[in-house]
Amino acid sequence: MDILLENMDLIISLGVIMIGYFAGSAAERKHYTSIKKREKETLGFPVVTAEAYFADGRVKESFMVSGSVVISMDYFKRLLGNLRNLFGGRVKAYESLIDRARREAILRMKEEAQMMGGDMITNLRLDTSTLTGSANRRSQIGSVEVIAYGTAVVFNQE
Amino acid sequence: MKFTPLEIEGNVNVSQTKPIAEFVWLAGELVLLVVGAYLLLGLATDLLAARIPVAAETWLGSRSLASFHGAANPALDRRLQELISRLPADSPLRRYRFSAHLLESDTVNAVALPGGHILVFSGLLRKVQSENELAMVLAHELGHYVHRDHVRGLGRGLGIAMAAQLLMGSDSSATEFVSRLTLPLFARYSQAQEQAADAFAVDLIRSRFGHAGGASDFFGRLHNEEGESRSYILASHPSPQDRISRISDRIAKRRYPVRPTLPLGRDVLQPKAEKKS
Repeated sequence: MDILLENMDLIISLGVIMIGYFAGSAAERKHYTSIKKREKETLGFPVVTAEAYFADGRVKESFMVSGSVVISMDYFKRLLGNLRNLFGGRVKAYESLIDRARREAILRMKEEAQMMGGDMITNLRLDTSTLTGSANRRSQIGSVEVIAYGTAVVFNQE
Repeated sequence: MKFTPLEIEGNVNVSQTKPIAEFVWLAGELVLLVVGAYLLLGLATDLLAARIPVAAETWLGSRSLASFHGAANPALDRRLQELISRLPADSPLRRYRFSAHLLESDTVNAVALPGGHILVFSGLLRKVQSENELAMVLAHELGHYVHRDHVRGLGRGLGIAMAAQLLMGSDSSATEFVSRLTLPLFARYSQAQEQAADAFAVDLIRSRFGHAGGASDFFGRLHNEEGESRSYILASHPSPQDRISRISDRIAKRRYPVRPTLPLGRDVLQPKAEKKS
């Protein structure tokens, strides 16, 4: 019992790591389920990275749409990333965060375009930035923002 | 151009790995590195410790003494010199010029600084009840000089501080985590040093007083005050109980006589009184 009390800080950090691991993986699983479901639903909605040229009179209206998302890493992922920083190599722990953020941002952009009556999105661009300072700073959990933006196009009905 | 929706199976952007396995692997590598560095550094300091000239140590000692703000204390010094006069003529301690200093602090501790400066905290003096106990404490610190523990400690401490500093740059939480895991190793080493110093101290107070009475009294009082609750697995010092049993073992094995202790002289307690007035 006393050895527990004396090493309280170690136990607390282990606890936080475990919370990070379990809560983080649960959140990730849930998010991926939602992403896959919504991707399937919007599969028919065209999004292209190409700068599209349309015949005269084909386009009725065009406007910019965007979708952005901020995703935080959890304590476990941060520790794993930090350890990886010492040895080098692929930071696999962070890959899924970026992947989720990218796909979620595109989904939100698509949803916005659909809401506004768009028929497709051309010229898709993705940008990313980190929030909360450096991801490796102590007592700071880094998060990543991904913004997806493009030109939504509404066609004239023929 | 016709838009053909395609569902993508799998995900090339996310590596399919087991994060726990990666964590265990990486943390293990780091622990191995830290332990390896510690052992190498320990080996290097052990080799070097005996070769560092006393003059260099004295210079280092005067610098570290200044940072502690200890005051020279004639009463403690007199007792220290009495102990030193009992040392054999060929003792390695003869190369030092020892001095005792008192530091106002509630901490119950004494420190052996490089260059023969022994720093006694006033918190310890308030707990000491007999001349024999005080001599035991001073002799224990003298024991550290025999094996040049202070120099070794410095080498290891410096290396660890440097390593922590280097790793701290890229991360602090991971390093801390790993250093906590490797702590028992460091603790083991310093506990062995403390036991060696205790053994030296018992022998010295035996030649000082003609008997070994009171050698473990101080630890006995510490033990009674703390009770059995504290854990000493990760501590730098062995538990009082452990020290008492080792000290009594040595007394029994060497057949040292044990007689009543001398009460503590009033001159030692003076600094405390001065502070109050």
